[in-house]
Amino acid sequence: MKHLTEEELIECYYNKSKAAKPASRHLERCVACAEAYAALQSDLALVTPAEPPARDAAYGARVWASISGSLPRFEARQRRRLRISIWSGLSYAAACALLIACAFYAGRLWEHRQPPISGANQSPPEAKQRVILVLLGDHLDRSERLLVELQHADADSAEMVSPLRDEARSLLTANRICRQEVKQQDDPAMAEALDRLDQLFNELANQPGGLNAAALARLQNEMNSGSLLFEVRVLRSRIPDQQPAGNARSKGGTI
Amino acid sequence: MFCMGKNDQAAIAAILAGDKEAYGELVMRHSQSLFRVAFRITGNEADAEDVVQEAFLRGYRKLESFESRSDFGTWIYRIAVRCALDKMGGHRADETSRVAGADDPQQDEVQVSDGAAGPDRLLLSGEIAALQERAMRCLTPAERTAFVLRHMEDRTIAEIAAALGIEPNTAKQTVFRAAQKLRRRLAPLRVKI
Repeated sequence: MKHLTEEELIECYYNKSKAAKPASRHLERCVACAEAYAALQSDLALVTPAEPPARDAAYGARVWASISGSLPRFEARQRRRLRISIWSGLSYAAACALLIACAFYAGRLWEHRQPPISGANQSPPEAKQRVILVLLGDHLDRSERLLVELQHADADSAEMVSPLRDEARSLLTANRICRQEVKQQDDPAMAEALDRLDQLFNELANQPGGLNAAALARLQNEMNSGSLLFEVRVLRSRIPDQQPAGNARSKGGTI
Repeated sequence: MFCMGKNDQAAIAAILAGDKEAYGELVMRHSQSLFRVAFRITGNEADAEDVVQEAFLRGYRKLESFESRSDFGTWIYRIAVRCALDKMGGHRADETSRVAGADDPQQDEVQVSDGAAGPDRLLLSGEIAALQERAMRCLTPAERTAFVLRHMEDRTIAEIAAALGIEPNTAKQTVFRAAQKLRRRLAPLRVKI
């Protein structure tokens, strides 16, 4: 039989009610452990709780009187904490402002050291190509408008015919420039269309004896037989639109 | 001003709202119990009074960290135990020099004739108390505090561990060591009886 250790006896002594059930059962059976436990009880019973000197009813009040003077109000503490938090908040704001200023200045420096990104910095052929596309698109727009007006023109109306001839003269010059540029590129459809436009504008602008009904009918017939207006529209659709949306709307409105 | 009917939680709320006088009510309500445990740990009336004051001062300073779900009495009791322990630690050097004489086995022997009442019996009681006090002084502050809490204040191991800020198993071992030491110191008394 294994006897209880002193530690187990002490634990049993302080946990009589709830714990140490196996130890209690052992004590009932083992005489040696029961004697050791009795000795332990006897020893610890000698250690009686020291009875503290009596304190009168006013003791609590005396304690309070002795310490109350050194206790700050929590309100005051909160104000102090508020002051601290205000100062810390201001410091934080100043630090943030300084950081933003530094970041701004660094950004400016970095920006100055970087090569500027602009159209002039792009490769010349690419820039030139973009300019050509813009000019070509604009030219085809104007040409399309003129063709539409020509298709619906009435030879008896001088107010209608005269602007057509002026516009044709203006487009003739632009058309030649575009033809020169397109010839340098491998775009036969565009070159052919511009050739036909050149011929039409030339006849329209320089028709001997003015633009009478017969001449107008011939030009309209010439334009329609070759589906020149349709061809111009198709070619225009191939060119990316460089114009603002507002212009596009106004153009559509005129049509 | 804080009125008598309010409980501890209401008093604490009032204190935190700026009513310092409400703390006076808590002090008056718990001073007696704190003095009792402080005296049992320190074994000295003046030290016990110092401990009570220090405990309430510490309690006030830490009041913002007090969780409203806890019981203020238990909370301030633990603070008082820690204060008493600190006080004991401060007096440790003095205690050691005084206790040195208690190691003499001859001094611990108490000759008892019988259990009769009267002057002899009173003298015996006084000698037993003195021997007990010397035995208690042989304990370390932590052992004495743990033993007082377990043996005299009837606190559980968990409560002792919480009050001393140690693990429950450590608290249990501390109580065990204290009981062992006391038994050895009180052995002469047992034999003679």
